[in-house]
Amino acid sequence: MSATAFVRPDGKEKVTGSGRYAADLDLTGQLHAKLRYADHTHARIVRIDTTRARALPGVLAVLTHEDVPDVRYGMMVKDRRLFAKERVRFEADIVAAVAALTPEIAAEAAALVEVEYEPLAPVSDIEAAAAADAPLIHEEWASYESDDEMGRVGNVLGHSAIVKGDAGGALAAADVVVKNRFLVDASQGAPIEPRAILAQWQGDRVTVWSSTQVPFAARSGIAHVLQIPESNVRVIVPLLGGGFGSKCDFHFEGHVAALARAAGRPVKLVFTREEEFVAPDHRREGMVIELESGARADGTIVARRGRLLLDGGAYCGEGGFFAQMAAMHACGPYELENVDVSSTLVYTNNQPSGSIRAPTAPQVCWAVEQHTDELAAALGLDPIELRRRTLLDEGSVSPTGQVFGKFGIKQTLERAVELIGADVELGDSEAIGVACGWWPSFGGPSGAYVKLNGDGTGTIVTGAQENGSGAVMGLPLLVAAELGMQPGDFSILYQDTDAGPWDGGSSGSQTTFNNGRAVVEAAREVRDKLLELASDKFEIAPEDLELVGGVVRVVGDPTFSVTIAELAGEGTAILGKGSGAVPENPPAEPGDGCLGRLGMESFLEPQLFTHAVRVKVDRETGVVRVLQVAAAHDSGTIVNRIGADGQVYGGVVMGIGQALTEHTQFDVDGRQRNPHLLDYKLATASDVPRIDVDWVENPAENGGPRGSKGVGEPPSVPTAGAIGNAIAKVIRARVCELPMTPERVWAARP
Amino acid sequence: MRLPLTLTVNGIAYPLELEPSTTLLRAVREHVGLTGAKEGCDDSECGACMMLLDGRPVNACSYLAHQAEGRAVTTVEGLAAGGDLAPLQQAFLEHGGVQCGFCTPGMLISATALLAKHPNPTEEEVRIGLSGNLCRCTGYDGIVKAVLSLAG
Repeated sequence: MSATAFVRPDGKEKVTGSGRYAADLDLTGQLHAKLRYADHTHARIVRIDTTRARALPGVLAVLTHEDVPDVRYGMMVKDRRLFAKERVRFEADIVAAVAALTPEIAAEAAALVEVEYEPLAPVSDIEAAAAADAPLIHEEWASYESDDEMGRVGNVLGHSAIVKGDAGGALAAADVVVKNRFLVDASQGAPIEPRAILAQWQGDRVTVWSSTQVPFAARSGIAHVLQIPESNVRVIVPLLGGGFGSKCDFHFEGHVAALARAAGRPVKLVFTREEEFVAPDHRREGMVIELESGARADGTIVARRGRLLLDGGAYCGEGGFFAQMAAMHACGPYELENVDVSSTLVYTNNQPSGSIRAPTAPQVCWAVEQHTDELAAALGLDPIELRRRTLLDEGSVSPTGQVFGKFGIKQTLERAVELIGADVELGDSEAIGVACGWWPSFGGPSGAYVKLNGDGTGTIVTGAQENGSGAVMGLPLLVAAELGMQPGDFSILYQDTDAGPWDGGSSGSQTTFNNGRAVVEAAREVRDKLLELASDKFEIAPEDLELVGGVVRVVGDPTFSVTIAELAGEGTAILGKGSGAVPENPPAEPGDGCLGRLGMESFLEPQLFTHAVRVKVDRETGVVRVLQVAAAHDSGTIVNRIGADGQVYGGVVMGIGQALTEHTQFDVDGRQRNPHLLDYKLATASDVPRIDVDWVENPAENGGPRGSKGVGEPPSVPTAGAIGNAIAKVIRARVCELPMTPERVWAARP
Repeated sequence: MRLPLTLTVNGIAYPLELEPSTTLLRAVREHVGLTGAKEGCDDSECGACMMLLDGRPVNACSYLAHQAEGRAVTTVEGLAAGGDLAPLQQAFLEHGGVQCGFCTPGMLISATALLAKHPNPTEEEVRIGLSGNLCRCTGYDGIVKAVLSLAG
């Protein structure tokens, strides 16, 4: 099948406008929800009075913490309640929620909820939050239910260290040493669809339509905060208008379900764009990154010291592993003889951070790759040559003791350099920059059913979630190949927790990787049943039969054949189920000094990649224009080329935005100053250039179907670092703050 | 106070009574019942709500329904004539111009207007012509290729 011949099964509804997203759904008797957010970023709640809100005509429910079970939730640390009780900790902490006849009445009622506060000192700055005498964001932190590897001291939410050998001694003996300090602003996933949720109770059961990336996590979250069984909760995801991580995790479904139960009516919540910026507990975390590396004259990196501080925001969510992930990226895919990296995630009064497309990696990669170019400059080596000498390779041992097999990162380096045209004649104020990086594949449980219909078509029922990437849309390619059928023969039922088996959702680039294995296993069960039926019919052993072109036939004698439609139409239920064996993380042998281990100390089938960019810098204004991007990735075998290419195009453009324009600016109290698309600038079609993509396909031994790895997250990782390196060549100085806005580029000039 | 008006959307006349402040987007989504056009920002920044007004693209979130009276409104639902996909819709699918699809209705409207005005645009003209429509998934690559495939 050629790449362009595969048209995604949900394509027609998307180009005709007939597809339904959550905000497009309405139910008879439906009410509208509005959330009442905190009036301070850090305050003690003295009193909440809902009398006036309840009295407003058209209001059917007003809820506060008193109206729901007194439980905390949180994927890695149970540190949050559905409604704030004693304290608010960031600007969009939810104090109350209203359901009313119209959105206008709901908004009016939400404003009428009276809340009296005793303001506390807010802490927005990461370094201030990490100080020993900082005001505590969570006074009860030590008592929260959480993983033992988490922080639990002061505002420290998570801490991780990677230690190998004696970095201090090696730095003292190095031929050259470079040291950099980088600052990163927060940024956003910013899907074009603001989230929407609709809930309806029928008896004791609630159905929730939600624009979530993780319907099963949403289901368990609703069950937990309302203290009801998961079997009483059904989560359905209509078409999802993008997520990029920001729609991971459970959150607002609980408020809407609680409102619908209290009001006895269906309730719908649709976020404004401003809410989509400030309220989700998912954004990219700001960071302070200090790096110091020493090398011998031949380029050998003898030591890396790193100190990283990450802004976790007001609540942990599922972001508790960020300290360790950032530490892994501070080492990067390089041979390092001695390492001393320490990474700390702190609570602040900012919006909670949470997974956004390859969490922590773009920021740390941006810093490490610029630092690597600085090291090359100090050594008098070409930056590409230094990478050739120091990138990990087959047989390399990582700082945490992981031994690698086939490792294609140098292939991606050479391919990206080739694609950009390293000998291209550069115009005035132009330069080429290169950056490399890595990101793990994530193994996890997943499941699917495949069933055949009487006319010889089929249906795939999967627990996996489609976020737009096309990963679920590509499943028929895998199933059809197992059964000798066409991808177009299959419908897909997905995004309904009552239908498909449990799945981790659209996160971690894991859908093809994990659910791909599941559907292949399910298809093989169907295949076995078809062969068994045909075997009975022809009285020929199953191993002498094959499935080709919609029929089961005898190998070597096509006159004996029966169509799948005939076999399926005989009334025998032909149903296969699969989950696939979950690949285990490879072993690692971290040294005694390695702390905060949450499973990231080894990378399963790492995705490896290099981006090369050509930029032009206006020295008078600091404005940077990206003229060309070349992206070379090793994601193992590519299953669906048009889908995989699409991930790279989109990831690179997100990377250009993160590099140059995208940042959430917090004021000193932790309030967002630019929660709208006028001032939070996403790259447009006219801001970005042609992007050349190529794949180095080293089949993964312990990977997804056909030797595939993950695909979706890495494309947004190295672009900013490559752009930073190109800018530095033009202006002969480092821009050490991300994003590299015109003001910052201008100010960095010597 | 609701005032009567007739909105003509995709060739069909709809008699409505709407507040003077009702936007064209809300009128079409909630009162006419066509949900193809999306609200992404309510700020004229994302372009997901775009409709054609007498062939000219407008951000329907920032345009009043009453201003559209007597004019021909075209939404994404009006692009496929007689159930067959328009060549542009087909091209979006074949070139990978659709991922999550939330920007797609507005993109198609913008691209339709662009090609009507400039039947043979350069790549740069396509990129500038679509710069009022934000897409977070595709990096614009498949969209630009789809529009260029219909040039000339």
